Amino acid sequence: MVQCPSCARPVEPAITCPECGAPVGSDLDCFAAFGLPRKLQIDAVRLEQAYHDLGRRIHPDRFASSPVRLRDASLRATALLTRAYRTLRDPVSRGLYALELNGIKLAENNKNVPVELAELVFEVQEQLADFNAARSRGGEAARSLNSEVTARRAGLRLTMDRLMDELNALFGRIDANGAAGHDALYAELKATLSKIAYLRTLIRDVDKELDLTRAA
Amino acid sequence: MAVSAECGFNYCPFNCRMSRIFGIDLGTTNSLIALMEGKTPRVIADPASANALLPSVVALASDGVVFVGESAVEMEPRLTLKPDARVSRAGFHSAEAGAVVRSVKRYMGLGGDEVSPEDRRRYAFTDFSGPVVRFRVGERSYTPAQISAEILKTLRRRAEAALPGEKVERVVITVPAYFNDGQRQATKDAGRLAGLEVVRLVNEPTAASLAYGLNQMAEGKVAVYDFGGGTFDVSILNIKGGIFEVLATNGDTHLGGDEIDRVVADWLLEDTPASIHGDRRAWNSARLAAEDAKKRLTDADSVDLRLDLEGRRIARAVSRAELDRMASPFVERTLACCGRALEDAMLRASEVDAVVLVGGSTRMPMVRRRVEEFFGRKPLCSLDPDQVVALGAAVQAGVLMGSHGDMLLLDVVPLSLGIETMGGVMERVIHRNTTIPTSATETFTTAVDNQTHVDIHVLQGERELANDCRSLARFKLGPIELQPAGMPRIEVTFLIDANGILNVTARDARTGREHSVDVKPSYGLTDEEIERMLEESIDLGEQDLERRLLITTRNEAGQILTALGKQLKEYGELVGTDERRRIEETSARLEAARVGGDRDLIGRLVEELNELTTPFAERIMDHAIKIALEKKSIEELS
Repeated sequence: MVQCPSCARPVEPAITCPECGAPVGSDLDCFAAFGLPRKLQIDAVRLEQAYHDLGRRIHPDRFASSPVRLRDASLRATALLTRAYRTLRDPVSRGLYALELNGIKLAENNKNVPVELAELVFEVQEQLADFNAARSRGGEAARSLNSEVTARRAGLRLTMDRLMDELNALFGRIDANGAAGHDALYAELKATLSKIAYLRTLIRDVDKELDLTRAA
Repeated sequence: MAVSAECGFNYCPFNCRMSRIFGIDLGTTNSLIALMEGKTPRVIADPASANALLPSVVALASDGVVFVGESAVEMEPRLTLKPDARVSRAGFHSAEAGAVVRSVKRYMGLGGDEVSPEDRRRYAFTDFSGPVVRFRVGERSYTPAQISAEILKTLRRRAEAALPGEKVERVVITVPAYFNDGQRQATKDAGRLAGLEVVRLVNEPTAASLAYGLNQMAEGKVAVYDFGGGTFDVSILNIKGGIFEVLATNGDTHLGGDEIDRVVADWLLEDTPASIHGDRRAWNSARLAAEDAKKRLTDADSVDLRLDLEGRRIARAVSRAELDRMASPFVERTLACCGRALEDAMLRASEVDAVVLVGGSTRMPMVRRRVEEFFGRKPLCSLDPDQVVALGAAVQAGVLMGSHGDMLLLDVVPLSLGIETMGGVMERVIHRNTTIPTSATETFTTAVDNQTHVDIHVLQGERELANDCRSLARFKLGPIELQPAGMPRIEVTFLIDANGILNVTARDARTGREHSVDVKPSYGLTDEEIERMLEESIDLGEQDLERRLLITTRNEAGQILTALGKQLKEYGELVGTDERRRIEETSARLEAARVGGDRDLIGRLVEELNELTTPFAERIMDHAIKIALEKKSIEELS
């Protein structure tokens, strides 16, 4: 239990006091900050609405003339809410956060290309190298490669969309599942997120090459 | 607990203080103060001059007298152009006796070692190593926060004179969105030194969007292009249902109209010898002439630029095309910032629904043209670009007073915040363009057995290496219980408040015990220094007033003595021998008293002399009438 900085009643940790509505600002996980159950499928529009509604009520702008401890609570609660919103808004960061809550870490700068993507990654890198070389020579070859790379980008974006759908479906399965099969589902989540991270880098590389062409 | 009926604040049953909050634009070139009148923001004009803009110009005499605004501007040519001229007003007797500081905002939050050669060309500073840059004026030195405080005090005086019965105690002050932690802190310090409670710092482009948003802007994505005298900011906002959410911001706190003036001044002096080109006064007059030409070129196609330096006249014609050529690199830099902001907001220029122009430099036709080309739409500039930021500050003051319950501002931190890790690499803890307030927690441990302290170096910036980022603060965690290396776990929370200013707290993850964090800011003033300055300034404030009155009395005496001297010479035959002796005697006493500091004595002698010379003055008048009549009769005769 924590004490509400406004009505001084002892309350369960929450972003706002259930008794008087004042910001409490205790340590909460990102789901609890919004008063949401730990379900991974989240409606983006409703999340934004909740963020704005809560924000309007607890933001430091509302407590400029309040006592220090209420101002403090407002600051901490809003910082928490902002962080929670940032984490939950994007499905990828939400997925990573779910892994983190389960003590699983997606290693940064993971050098092991996911098997399913290995061939694709190799192909694209080859193509970009060719494109890069052709660009400095100019002429017809560069132009045709340019349209090839542009088509490739569209293809990669489609793959990304498909992966995001997969991620959402996986969220649904994890939400529906109780404790059973937990480990397998989280392993699958980790693999999917790893693929998405790779694809993101790949798309960024392609974008960069195409930008260089435009600038030239 | 419900809404307090008295003040309209939610959850405000205690300690409700109802004093009004004012909005202040503390600008590089001009400063303004504004307030909310009902639901409309209004800039408060100086009741004496009717001017809304207070030039951010501060004249500092070596004896501690300070003049702000128009009076400082008036003093400037005398101080900068003719250093040897005796200037009776304000007691300036030579250039060494004072300095006129313009654009003090450029120096806010700078350390002594951050003063550029360009700055040294403009002003004299005391030392180049301390955590705060200091302007040298004779034997005294002033920090930028102290000088800015003088501007704030003047705004306060003006507002209080314009609004009888009101006290200016609580304010919102605007800052460039791209101001770093140190620059923000310095602005808060200035407020404190002026005796004001700074309730909130608001980013200038965001304030502008509030002023526009209040009455006319539709919902959607808005780009605010704010090109002022000293700084450039661009913010991309999403406005939706009263929520003003900043998506990204970018800018440069040393990119403004000042830069253009500098280049034009260089061009103006390009053929002069080093004795002129390198001379601080000549350089400053060239800058003023350049600024004037730039302003006139907003409407004219070509203007003549004249500069009268001691013994040397410079005259050049400058066309708008020529100015555009000189200004172009700076304008292109602003557009590069716009490109980066759009990229961070993940938007294309064509997806922006409205572009708003803010700041005096957006009056340049070229700037308008280039912004329009960049965004592919005509920018909005229906609100006065000089006033819109102050109006927005007043709107935010209204929000803070609870009068706009549905409005909410969600701003971002402009620069990433991180810590120095092994190998001198900057590790980001909070990324740029993160919505504030925000916090991040990092866990630290020890590297060797029984280590009692961990040193942490906080940085701000976007570069990879710690050395390339700006040092924000250093602090020591500890004392830590004696444990093997890697065992202690200390959680440090970096919290950025709604002002964009960092607060650090730490606790032991195992015991939950709070650690004290002794943060040493790398730049800026310490609390003790501010306290001391406050004490000094209270004394100085009273001395200031007394000194002002003394100067006024002295000037009055000077005028009387000069006029009397002339009359005695011209109408010597109208004064009796005895009378002349008595007048001369009293004059000599007044002359002597004028040099001293006894204001009452000077005042008494002025009165005495006035009384003594009244018959003489009447005779002069009679004489003049007689002459006029004689002249008239001659005319009639002929």
